[in-house]
Amino acid sequence: MIFTMPWGLLGLLAVPAIVAIHLFRRRFPTRSVAGLFLWQVMRRTPETGGRISKLPITASLLLECLAAFALALILAGARLRPATVSQHVVVLLDNSASMAATNSLGQSPRDRAVRRVLNEIAQLGSSGRITLVESGERPSVILGPAAFAAEARSALEKWKPDAPHHSLALGLQLAREIAGRQGRLLVLSDTSNGDNEVEGAVWVAVGEALANVGFTAAQRTISPEQGTGTIFLSIGNFSTASLRRHLRVFSGTDEVLARELDLPPGTSSFNLPLRSGLSSVRVVLSDDPLLRDNEIVLAEPRPKVVAVKNRLPQGRGRDALMKALSSISGVTTSEHEDIRFEPAGELNALVPAGGWPVAFGRAPADLFAAGDTHDFVGPFVPEKLHPLMRGVTLAGVVWTGAYSLAPGKIHPLVSAGDQALIALLGSRPEDGILFNIDLERTNLIRSPDWPILVSNLIELRRQNLPGPEFWNYRIGEWVRVRLGRQPKGPLQFRCGAIERELPVSNVSEFIAPAPGGLLQVMEGNQVLFEVGVNFLDEEESNLQHKEARESGKFDSHAADLRGENGPASDPLFWILLGVATAAVLLNWCVGATVTRHA
Amino acid sequence: MSDSAIDWAAIHSAAISFRLAMPRSPAGGRLGERIGTGTGSSLEFQDYREYTAGDDLRHVDWAAYARSEILTVRLYREEVAPRVDLVFDVSRSMLVTEQKVRAHRELCALLCCAAQATQIDARIITLSSIEPRRLRDPEEIERLLSCDGAISAVQETHLPLRRHSVRVVVSDFLFPHDPDSLVSRLAREAASLSLIQLTLPEEMNPSVLGGWRLVDIEGHGELDVVIDQRAIQDYCARFGRLRLGLSRAARRTGSKFVHLIAGESLRQGALALAAAGVLEVI
Repeated sequence: MIFTMPWGLLGLLAVPAIVAIHLFRRRFPTRSVAGLFLWQVMRRTPETGGRISKLPITASLLLECLAAFALALILAGARLRPATVSQHVVVLLDNSASMAATNSLGQSPRDRAVRRVLNEIAQLGSSGRITLVESGERPSVILGPAAFAAEARSALEKWKPDAPHHSLALGLQLAREIAGRQGRLLVLSDTSNGDNEVEGAVWVAVGEALANVGFTAAQRTISPEQGTGTIFLSIGNFSTASLRRHLRVFSGTDEVLARELDLPPGTSSFNLPLRSGLSSVRVVLSDDPLLRDNEIVLAEPRPKVVAVKNRLPQGRGRDALMKALSSISGVTTSEHEDIRFEPAGELNALVPAGGWPVAFGRAPADLFAAGDTHDFVGPFVPEKLHPLMRGVTLAGVVWTGAYSLAPGKIHPLVSAGDQALIALLGSRPEDGILFNIDLERTNLIRSPDWPILVSNLIELRRQNLPGPEFWNYRIGEWVRVRLGRQPKGPLQFRCGAIERELPVSNVSEFIAPAPGGLLQVMEGNQVLFEVGVNFLDEEESNLQHKEARESGKFDSHAADLRGENGPASDPLFWILLGVATAAVLLNWCVGATVTRHA
Repeated sequence: MSDSAIDWAAIHSAAISFRLAMPRSPAGGRLGERIGTGTGSSLEFQDYREYTAGDDLRHVDWAAYARSEILTVRLYREEVAPRVDLVFDVSRSMLVTEQKVRAHRELCALLCCAAQATQIDARIITLSSIEPRRLRDPEEIERLLSCDGAISAVQETHLPLRRHSVRVVVSDFLFPHDPDSLVSRLAREAASLSLIQLTLPEEMNPSVLGGWRLVDIEGHGELDVVIDQRAIQDYCARFGRLRLGLSRAARRTGSKFVHLIAGESLRQGALALAAAGVLEVI
């Protein structure tokens, strides 16, 4: 018999306690009387304690001792069979995509890692316990904790490493927490830990240096005016020799482009013409060790054209604005304007929905404060974090004709002293932007800051137009999609087999999911936008530094894991429970019988 | 209980000078030697009345007819043999000590002998469930005094008592009761009622004994108590109230109440009964 909780044997102290209770229990000599009722108002509590006399061996005493004995053994976890003692190994599996790179024999670090884990399981024996932790930005347990060794094979077969480059630190931390004091820690990766041994863990590098070619960056643009498009590709040759690869571009199942590429060592860039009208294309490189970086999907961008209307009066200011706008692509003149340039005095006129008023000159009377106009040569204090002010210095600018504006009604973006020079007329740009300047006299329109300022304004407005911020993303990047209106149905995105609900809002943000591919943003069953999500990871594509090495050793102080299957696993528990219950019930019956006889 | 449990020689010796005291005018009974309350055929003249058809012609006073020419009959007192019901408590409380057993048996035997000496119609009642036994030979009562009942006959509400009977009740009365209702019930339609309480000396005045587990001999529970001076005072007060209650209830109903202590001599007991009017000296 073994005890899983020996401290429970302290419960045996109940037995002498019961004996003592019976020994010291008050036992008066018996006397028969005829009129007991005449005594019954007497004090029942004696002034003295009980007397020690010979212990009466009664059925009640025996049953109580038996019940206490049985319950004490239950508390102590008495078992007929010894508890299962097994070794526990926690394995951290590097889930980065490079673990799937195959050599000329068709073997990958993933295969070698699986073999190593199976060898470890074989050494553990059938009673061994194993936990498999998969690394990543958010590490996860794919088997266990402390699962039976027999379950490991199926879990390992399902393991397909494909994550972008990440640190193993978080996975290591999780594995250590699971291992605790009883577990041994094994790390399996395709890179070694260098000379920095992880304390109490064995780090096994199962990698192999291989020459690999893969996409490291990709973009797609279109030129609506010319009806053509371009694919910009960065392809890395991670070897020491020039390599030749065959590149093909597919639209659906149709091959629309094919090229033979000679790739010198390092990264090469390519611009490939592509006709417009192809919604999404698949770009594929010929096979090499790592397949993950040989294919990308590029969605066709939809141009965001900003419509402007210039209502400024004729003069050098209006001309300078038109000149600056003409140098920015994706800008058109339309009655349904996105931006309306106008004299500040007309700010209160009705603005069509969606149009941002941008005003120059003397502001309406309700924004005025007392005082005359002033000219400023600096110093100018811009709010640098605002996108309108990005890259704007105003160095050498003479700011002319600035009126005093009432504080509290505007949000200054550029100030000179306590005078606001450029200001938002509300909390958001769509409420209006005021340039407190006389364009006819200032030299701002001839300074380098003028086209930057106008370009920032156009791009700020362009970003607020409906559609995704970008059309092609890397895995893990934030995707931001603006609907420009309240959604009419539930929003979700679909990327391969992944489907997720999105919060109902006119702006949705989410992380581009792995394994990537064409991502569709949907409103109900209608596809609103399509963007490309691609594995573009130079760190994972570079297999030159991979190696095979083993370092470290298991924690020799790690205790074995005690396997407890609960009380139902041992018949002694049920026997003791039955004995205790029977003893208690019998004692109750005996007590009731004695009372009845009395 | 063996046949020799009662010293009949001593009983007869003590009882020879006593008989059961009868009330001055017994209410009724069979034809006997005692003057009854009604009209009968004794030699003692009671009254005159006019003759009516059916009267015994032997009782016509012819001398009075000669004087008044009216037929007049002489009325004489009746002579009856009074009915006596002896109610003996045979519950286990009478077995509490050997002394009490012996005193109980001797008292019952004495009363039986006294009843027999009175030449009356006497019956012995022990329990309502047992048919009352007519008293012929006092020595027959030994087998009635087994004292194994769980309750006393006095506690029973439907005793087979006869109307206008002389009733003598022997018990220790050591059971919870209301003396007024108990005595009223026993005295209902009785010619007379005598209550004889027989207790042990320690039942009346227990000594200091220390801690005891007191077990009711009739099975009404048990009690752990420490008997000290204060407890005895309390007990005596309660016992005194019980006895006083019986005595007062007896007075209210015109009954007699005697308290006898087991251990006293039979002669002393008989004298005490005679002093109380239960027995009378021949």
